[in-house]
Amino acid sequence: MQHVWIVLGVLFVLLNVAAGLIWVERRMLAMWQDRLGPNRAGPLGLLIVLADTLKLFFKEDWIPSFADKKIFVIAPAIVVASVLMSFVVIPFAPGIVVADLNIGVLFFLAMSSLGVYSIVLGGWASNNKYSLLGAMRGASQMIAYEVFMGLSLMGVVMMTGSFRLTDIVEAQRSVWFCFTQPLGLILFFIAGIAETHRLPFDIPESESELIAGFHSEYSGMKFGMFFIGEYLGVTLISAMTVTMFFGGWMGPEFLPGWAWFFIKTFAFILFFILLRASLPRPRYDQLMESGWKVLLPLVLVNILVTGAVLLYLKG
Amino acid sequence: MQLLNILLDIAKTDSAEGYFPIGLQLLFAAGFVATMMVATHLLGPKRKTADKLENFASGIPTHGDARTPMAIKYFLVAILFVLFDVEVIFFYPYAVNFRELGWTGFWEVLLFVGFFLVGFIYIIKKGALKWED
Amino acid sequence: MQDADDILKQLQQRFGDTGLQQQQRKDDILTVWLPKEQLIPVTQWLKAAVDKPYKLLYDVCGIDERDRMGNGYLPLKDFTVVYHLFSFERNDFICLKVALEGEYPSLPSITSLYKNANWYEREVYDMFGIRFEGHPHLQRILMPLTWPGHPLRKEHPARATESGPFRLFTEYEDREQNALEFKPEEWGMQRQTDDADFMFLNIGPQHPGTHGVLRIVLQLDGEDIVDAVPEIGFHHRGAEKMGERQSWHTYIPYTDRVDYLGGVMNNLAYLLAVEKLAGIEVPDRVKVIRVMLCELFRISSHLVWFGTFAQDVGQLSPVFYMFTDREKVFDIIEAVCGGRMHPNWFRIGGVAQDLPNGWDGLVRHFVNYFPKRIREYTNMVLRNSLFKGRTKGIGIYTLEEAIEWGVTGAGLRACGFEWDFRKKRPYSGYEMFDFDIPIAQNGDCYDRAIVRVEEMRQSLRIVEQCLNNMPEGSYKADHPLTTPPIKKHTMKDIETLITHFLNVSWGPVIPAGEAMSCIEATKGANSYYLTSDGNTSPYRVRIRTPSFPHMQMVPYISKGYTVADLLSILGSVDFVLADIDR
Repeated sequence: MQHVWIVLGVLFVLLNVAAGLIWVERRMLAMWQDRLGPNRAGPLGLLIVLADTLKLFFKEDWIPSFADKKIFVIAPAIVVASVLMSFVVIPFAPGIVVADLNIGVLFFLAMSSLGVYSIVLGGWASNNKYSLLGAMRGASQMIAYEVFMGLSLMGVVMMTGSFRLTDIVEAQRSVWFCFTQPLGLILFFIAGIAETHRLPFDIPESESELIAGFHSEYSGMKFGMFFIGEYLGVTLISAMTVTMFFGGWMGPEFLPGWAWFFIKTFAFILFFILLRASLPRPRYDQLMESGWKVLLPLVLVNILVTGAVLLYLKG
Repeated sequence: MQLLNILLDIAKTDSAEGYFPIGLQLLFAAGFVATMMVATHLLGPKRKTADKLENFASGIPTHGDARTPMAIKYFLVAILFVLFDVEVIFFYPYAVNFRELGWTGFWEVLLFVGFFLVGFIYIIKKGALKWED
Repeated sequence: MQDADDILKQLQQRFGDTGLQQQQRKDDILTVWLPKEQLIPVTQWLKAAVDKPYKLLYDVCGIDERDRMGNGYLPLKDFTVVYHLFSFERNDFICLKVALEGEYPSLPSITSLYKNANWYEREVYDMFGIRFEGHPHLQRILMPLTWPGHPLRKEHPARATESGPFRLFTEYEDREQNALEFKPEEWGMQRQTDDADFMFLNIGPQHPGTHGVLRIVLQLDGEDIVDAVPEIGFHHRGAEKMGERQSWHTYIPYTDRVDYLGGVMNNLAYLLAVEKLAGIEVPDRVKVIRVMLCELFRISSHLVWFGTFAQDVGQLSPVFYMFTDREKVFDIIEAVCGGRMHPNWFRIGGVAQDLPNGWDGLVRHFVNYFPKRIREYTNMVLRNSLFKGRTKGIGIYTLEEAIEWGVTGAGLRACGFEWDFRKKRPYSGYEMFDFDIPIAQNGDCYDRAIVRVEEMRQSLRIVEQCLNNMPEGSYKADHPLTTPPIKKHTMKDIETLITHFLNVSWGPVIPAGEAMSCIEATKGANSYYLTSDGNTSPYRVRIRTPSFPHMQMVPYISKGYTVADLLSILGSVDFVLADIDR
């Protein structure tokens, strides 16, 4: 029975965080852009989340007549489901993990890479040219950055000797991996932004060129699913960064583990939003080129150097 | 609830890792998504108007549809990815086992990276990753 | 003047003085009437053979002469097509006029000589029905393809009430929509080659990247732009036609709305031409007030451009900071003019009111406040490496190409050519001010951006000089044709009262003649070419806007780049749809 509670608890928290991010992102962006942001509904405008959700529920559930209907419906479902599944392996606090798999890192990589299907299928099913271009960009971008994402985590795995995320967190008891694996951290985070296709790497959507790209034709709650999926993705990458590089739930005793985890994750979510507020978007081919020609060699160097140093220290 | 308890028992006996919660999470996640989709389907209004029959092309009739053959470049990147991904997978088992493999293992991996890079440089030289022709 | 006489003599020697006839104009631009057979040889000679050639086709417009009164000495027939050429080396215009006879006359096209003649000739065709023989694609450009008649012909109705009530029936709407569907064959485009099928993608008219209702049809191979066809006219309001039924005075607010970011700068271009026609010399105070407001508008327009440009390449925040600063400019403008974007504040022979008390405090505050902000924006946007990656080496054109396509303003200066009409052909007292012409060398999107940012600094310098040296005096010229008319003697004698009454109710009667102004507007060279036949309203108003040729060039500079680059190019060109379509 304990499993059920953990699963329900995790899902409940995640979905609320994702919904709350609607408000957080809009308020933070507004703050950084000298605006007010949503401040009318409820205290500090917090009820905007409720209003937005209700609005999406009562929008017409429109499936375009020209679209490939089944795939059109499935695509937004995939994005939310796959990201939620990725959270299975993340330890939020000692003992609070849905499934502490010994292949945790691999499971995370596998699940998060499913997200690309939602973009490709959604963009293709829409039967719209902007969507098609967005889907094509998204497919190449996400599958390319998956390679780097997996590899960038290998340094940490080598230092721990395990794919299990609780082991990785425990291994950071003396020093966080962000100090011993700084290159891995940076590369992972860059790949993470590309995976969640957030600004600056929101190339599949690129508002000013492709008009929301792969989800141009989506409306109502199906659009909402993409929206939630994006916020869940941001939370996922932030949580993963914290787990892999920033000691997960660890922190001074005066706060419980889950609180530390939450605080650190939230800091990275804010960093995601700050990036969105400040950076322009590179061009699609620039992103791909830097991925293949800069990130890939760096990732390999990181693995080799980590291996050599560890073996040398071992003697 | 009875059924759930039986399932939980199975989960305990199955393996120490317990893949059962994953199934549970999948169940709830899929359930959540399905609920949302069905709920909005039932709640939302349905008005059929002519404008909704056209897809968005900046407010103007589009020329042809989006079912056109796409440039090969996109697929090239995808295929290259598959190639590299298969190669990259070898790093994963190495990463957990490199302590046991020691320096010999390291030199072997270095050799592997060398091969890998040669292939990579070949691709770059061929211009397969270049977007502009 | 010496130069102009020379060129006339050379023309007459070369082409015989039988066909060529000179016309005197109020603005001293050499104007020569030619028979239409001579058009191609003369333009060819002026562009290529003559010493210090006329490289820039500045403007082409038509005039329907059938209702024109008086002027018996001119070789007027039914229609005239007017060409304005410009030579940078001479720093002078030449105007060629071809008189045409018949209901729907035709003349040879000069598209083979000047690249930018293409759209100008399409516009003349669209507005008058005059055909250009040898034009590659003579199709309507501003009006819908389904439009009956040619609007600038005198028989075409000028008001909605003259043409019956308008209703948008479904069939009518469908017909219009169908007419808008893009047919690649009409433009000589292939649907596929052996290698690839092309995708035809609409960018606009309802698109966040086009800054208004502009449509660009892209022929794409993957993401690479093979060809592009801009379709304009969605914002066309007939500003030139409206000029023919407004009085000289009541047309001023319409000019505000041409380049709607330029505000009173449009008033200035129009009024300079009117004042030339009327022979009004404005006092120094008027000049300086006008310059100050124009430069403030230049800053405000560049701020809008800067913010939206950054947004086009995906940077979300700068636009908010820049709009905040634009509000600070508007605070001054509002205090002075009462209006914000369309103040309608200049008048024939002056400005509407004197500066309000305390204006100097507002301006001084802004002059002190703004330089720090520009520095911040330069760091935020121009020095960002992602921004550089998106704009450097994108949308390049050389100086020759720029001139060939009629580029003026920052786009020209970004090619390393130090040309600013404020400096080279000073108007409204710009010769009194000390400022530099910023230039850049590469002619790409990034360089156009640098030039504009530097221009804001220079504008601020000018504003500061206005602030420190504002002359005393009247805010209006002492001339009978100024508007609103001078009232102070009206209660003394009946003649003045009657004149005042007529000038208020009908507006001033501007003496017959022609004049063209040319100013350095926010986006490039802006001109009003006015023809008066001695009436209370212009006979013909021709507005030469900078954005029109700039937009025409976009396909040329975006070929071979990607969709994402097109947005950088559009952003860097800095056009305003109302300025293109008028």
